[in-house]
Amino acid sequence: MLTCIGLRKDYVTERGAVAAVAGIDLEVAAGRFAAIIGRSGSGKSSLMAMIGGLSRPSAGQVTVDGTDIWGLSENDLAAFRNRRIGYVFQFASLLPTLRLVDNVALPALLGRSRDGTDAYGRAAELLAQMGLGDHLDAYPSEVSAGEQRRAVIARALINDPAMILADEPTSDLDEQTEIEIMDELLAVNRERGTTLVLVTHNLALAEQAEQIVHIAGGGIVA
Amino acid sequence: MAADRRGLGWLLASLALQNLGRRRARSFLLIAAVAVASGVVFTGATLMRSIDRSMEIGFTRMGADMMVAPEGALTNITAALLTVEPTDLVLDADLFAKAGIASVRRAAPQKIARVEHSGIGSHHESADLIGFDPALDFTIRPWLVEKLNRDLQPGDVILGAGRDAPLGSQLLIFGKPHIVYGRLGRTGVGTHERGVFMTFQTFDGLAAAMGGHAGHGGNGSLAVLQPGKVSGFLVELAPGAPPLQARFAILSSLKGIKVVTGDTTMSGIRQGLAALLDGILALTVLMFASMALMVSVLFSAIVTERRAELGLLKSIGARRSQIVGMMVIEAVIATGVGGALGVVLGFLAMRLYERSLVYYLENMGVPFAWLATPQVVAFALGAIALSSIIGALGALTPAWRASRRDPYDLVRGES
Repeated sequence: MLTCIGLRKDYVTERGAVAAVAGIDLEVAAGRFAAIIGRSGSGKSSLMAMIGGLSRPSAGQVTVDGTDIWGLSENDLAAFRNRRIGYVFQFASLLPTLRLVDNVALPALLGRSRDGTDAYGRAAELLAQMGLGDHLDAYPSEVSAGEQRRAVIARALINDPAMILADEPTSDLDEQTEIEIMDELLAVNRERGTTLVLVTHNLALAEQAEQIVHIAGGGIVA
Repeated sequence: MAADRRGLGWLLASLALQNLGRRRARSFLLIAAVAVASGVVFTGATLMRSIDRSMEIGFTRMGADMMVAPEGALTNITAALLTVEPTDLVLDADLFAKAGIASVRRAAPQKIARVEHSGIGSHHESADLIGFDPALDFTIRPWLVEKLNRDLQPGDVILGAGRDAPLGSQLLIFGKPHIVYGRLGRTGVGTHERGVFMTFQTFDGLAAAMGGHAGHGGNGSLAVLQPGKVSGFLVELAPGAPPLQARFAILSSLKGIKVVTGDTTMSGIRQGLAALLDGILALTVLMFASMALMVSVLFSAIVTERRAELGLLKSIGARRSQIVGMMVIEAVIATGVGGALGVVLGFLAMRLYERSLVYYLENMGVPFAWLATPQVVAFALGAIALSSIIGALGALTPAWRASRRDPYDLVRGES
């Protein structure tokens, strides 16, 4: 269960403080697929960053399965990000100088959740499930944008997280690849029971969600 | 489907290494700058120690800058001030210790007694027995050409070049057995060549026997046998102290003395080289300070450039220590390679020194003693280690600051 209470994010600019997220209350039940939609600059990415432990809120609370994540110590928060959350960013987020299999195994190695043999075995398995079994040793620049995104999903799953946060994961992909990537994410949600929170401005994608949160001006409008 | 398994350390190190490879020009400049600093440190340290050592065994062989003797004592003009002269006048042994003259680096007290029937040489041959303080001496032991493989002890004697006895053999002086600890090289200075040298303790042990055997033309009353009295001092000036001013300072501070000045040219060279060593040391410290600043500035830029990568690593669970560790590894690799390259450059630079400065010194009769190989290797490893440590310290602050940032700010590239 994800719960946000009075969540607020202010950015300080030369003209004073600007509220990107202005006091949001939100609940997403475990295992659900929730879509956060809104126009550019509406605050949806800032909201997701706070939910995922990536950006400290100016005020408010984020609770995941009863844990107040912003009350955790620095190391515990790192462990939370490592074990409980899988991120799929809107940009190509693979480390270009590491092979796909290294990129996928990296979170397991960083968090020491698996030993080296187990981490690489699991990484190879996940890449194979994503149709990348023949590209384990390939570098990100040697595969297509869609394949890169599938590798990112594999990386997000390496530690069996409770929640996948996907921030406009298909915004730079063609229509066919977008459908394939969404199918992968939906499969993760349905087959593994992993909570999926998707940020998008694509209403067609959002309509597949069980819960739609419409953001505008930093607040929930629907 | 199997892929090579790689450990976390390897992955983080390879990220660091590949980042260096990505910006080759910048990495090259960083390595080159560190190489110059490391080379200067390695060369400077090796040369400083070598010159220092050479000065110890070379310049000190040229004797003291000045000799301080009792006023009224007759002194011979010699080419080098290596020993005091026999005289029936004495000075207090703590004369310089009490005066504290700034232009004097050290003053080595000596006692000298010219005696007959001592058992040394032929029956009527007079011998100069010279007592010295090993802690302050700088004119006797540099001339040792052979010695026993241990420290000088009470009961040991060192023979001037004009006397012959096997090392370790027993020498009876006034019937008392002494061990021949070492022999001095030829100096051309009579007293030094004929002398039998020993510690004050050994000298004092012979005082009773010497009392009745004072030689002609020497210190007949043997006032020097009194405790706390010495025949004179050999003086080395402090680096940069002008001999003339030092002479006036000594004369105005100490009463009942005369100052015999040695070869001022050699004093000037000795002082000049001492100042040069200080200069090299200051340059070395400055080089490393500027290197630390440069590495820090450079790694601030590298961190700024790699914000997205660091943000991504934090997003997937990297701890602050892992982020800092990765950046520090990168700095250590770059500065370590630079340090090693600097050591190679240092070796080449020292070959040039060998053909210039060393040649110049040896022409002046100052033997140049290079450090032993293990010491040079230790300095080389030290320069590499120091470069790596400075690199790590330089990268630490920007890496630490970056590790404190929220991953989202880093990913978005916010400064």
